[in-house]
Amino acid sequence: MKRSTKRRWFTLFRYTILTFWVLIVGFPIFWMVSTSFKPDSEWYANPPVYISEDPTLDNFVTVWTSHTSTLKTQEAESMQRPWTALGNTLLVSLLSTTLAVGFGALLAYGVSRHRILSEVRMFQLLILRMIPPIVVVAPLSLYYSTLGLLDSVSGLVIVYFLTTLPYAVWMSKSFIDEVPREMEQAAEILGATRWQTIREVVLPLIRSGLVATFLFILILTWSEYLLALILSKAEVVTLPIELSKYEGSTEGRVYGRQAALAVGITLPLVIIGIFIRKHLARGFSFGMVRK
Amino acid sequence: MSTTNSDTRGGGVDQPRVAQREVTRARAVRRFKWTILTPFIVLLLAILIPVLLLQLYFSFNSWTIYLGSWWDADFVGLGMFKEVLTDPRFGWAIVRSLYFAVGSTFGCFVIGFGLALLMYRPFKGNALYYALFILPMLTVPIVIAYTAEMLLNQNGPVNDILAWLTANEVTIRWLTSPDLALTTVMILEIWNWTPFTFIIMLAGLSALPKEPIEAAQILGASRWRIFWEVQLPLLRPVIFLALILRFLEAMAEFPKAWALFQGGPGTTTETIPVYIYITTWQYFHVSKGAAMSYVVMLMMIVIVLIAIRVLRREKRSLDVIYERQRTETAGVGA
Repeated sequence: MKRSTKRRWFTLFRYTILTFWVLIVGFPIFWMVSTSFKPDSEWYANPPVYISEDPTLDNFVTVWTSHTSTLKTQEAESMQRPWTALGNTLLVSLLSTTLAVGFGALLAYGVSRHRILSEVRMFQLLILRMIPPIVVVAPLSLYYSTLGLLDSVSGLVIVYFLTTLPYAVWMSKSFIDEVPREMEQAAEILGATRWQTIREVVLPLIRSGLVATFLFILILTWSEYLLALILSKAEVVTLPIELSKYEGSTEGRVYGRQAALAVGITLPLVIIGIFIRKHLARGFSFGMVRK
Repeated sequence: MSTTNSDTRGGGVDQPRVAQREVTRARAVRRFKWTILTPFIVLLLAILIPVLLLQLYFSFNSWTIYLGSWWDADFVGLGMFKEVLTDPRFGWAIVRSLYFAVGSTFGCFVIGFGLALLMYRPFKGNALYYALFILPMLTVPIVIAYTAEMLLNQNGPVNDILAWLTANEVTIRWLTSPDLALTTVMILEIWNWTPFTFIIMLAGLSALPKEPIEAAQILGASRWRIFWEVQLPLLRPVIFLALILRFLEAMAEFPKAWALFQGGPGTTTETIPVYIYITTWQYFHVSKGAAMSYVVMLMMIVIVLIAIRVLRREKRSLDVIYERQRTETAGVGA
């Protein structure tokens, strides 16, 4: 009897804490979504407006079609090219992610099966990720400008490739490690070549793992800010940079529009993240979390 | 291929042929290794070496954007480093970054671990809570900064809710008070990255071997003692991992601090990345930025190498535990 009351108290305690944290997590997200539906009179209202009494799709229409209905915010908006930014972001993040994961998976296979990199080297690879990018970005931008890579897709793709590679290698290695070696040996005994073995035995088994790795890296490249801010100025603007431009010289921040764009930037990541939620821990656990 | 087949099937394999195969195999592996590694190393060196050399050049030659071509810079020897190391603003930036990184790492860890402890045993609604809890990590940092600007406005909803909860007027100046600004960024960082420690700790807790805990239960140990003396030591590698990664990422945090404060009010949110950014792209003092970058880079390399050492040691200890466990279960099986 006593034990079950104790358990009931614990259950109550658990749900209270967890629900409290859901509120903390949810409120800013709620606010962002809610603001994206507010007309401009409610952006700075005091007392604050939680849910718009006069919800409108204006913000979305304005942001994504560049059609402005209010003169007030025109200056800040006429300069924006969100679709171009979306295209750039897609191009840059998909390219660099594909490269990082494709290359990383091959490297990981070599490490897992033939130890082509020792454990020390594998950890040293992490330096690429762990040194703050700010310390190299100034000379990098100068170097890029002499190479003509500044403000170009390939310039961003190269740095994103290099900085996400460590995670790609470590994460895909954790999936490859799980494929029993015996299966490959069996395939070889049956006369399969190396590439056949990789393609027909290993690849199908790690496919979902590679998808998870891909999406994980995509999240990182999609939301990167500092490198994009410095290495892309005018031509290849990505979405996070585009977002910070929604500020007029006279009208201050254009909250509603900004929120509408923010929803658009965040939504794909949320969908991806929820989709691969089971695998997220792998991305940064470096073989420390095992089944 | 057919010879390979018959070889393995007929148990008696002749030695020379096996040795021959080993050699070809080793050669193939080596070729595979260099085919993969060469392009990567070439790319890395092609980017890294010029960048580091340029950085070195600028640290020893004073140049700002106003001076024309960068190769016309004046040689100043160690002067730039002297200037950087005696600059109190740089010192404070380091102190702030450390404070920010330690504080946010601690916050993320305590909350993330706490939530993971509440959730690692299955219960109703488990999956839903998990999906909700990872949301902040999936939000673009710059979006968090702009949303926070709306939320934390002095007349904004956060103060409004606090006022409603405490039945008092609340006018916390989250965004304009010099004493509070860095803490505000820290709170945002904790909000943003608690999912990270939560996920790692949850995975770590779920992967704990059951036997030691059951053994302790049978021996009559209390919940509390099991936690401190059995679970926590087993979790040590994962704990180190979460702390180290979080700390390093927090040292490099830029988007939130920059988008919200640009170093202000005053200089109170000038962390290392922000100060380097301001020096290079607002004062256009490229050389000073380069010298600072070198100092910071050396500092971070030392920290990262220590971190890697710790991680490797922890991973090895984990390897030992799992190896022992495997041989033991194999022993029981036999």
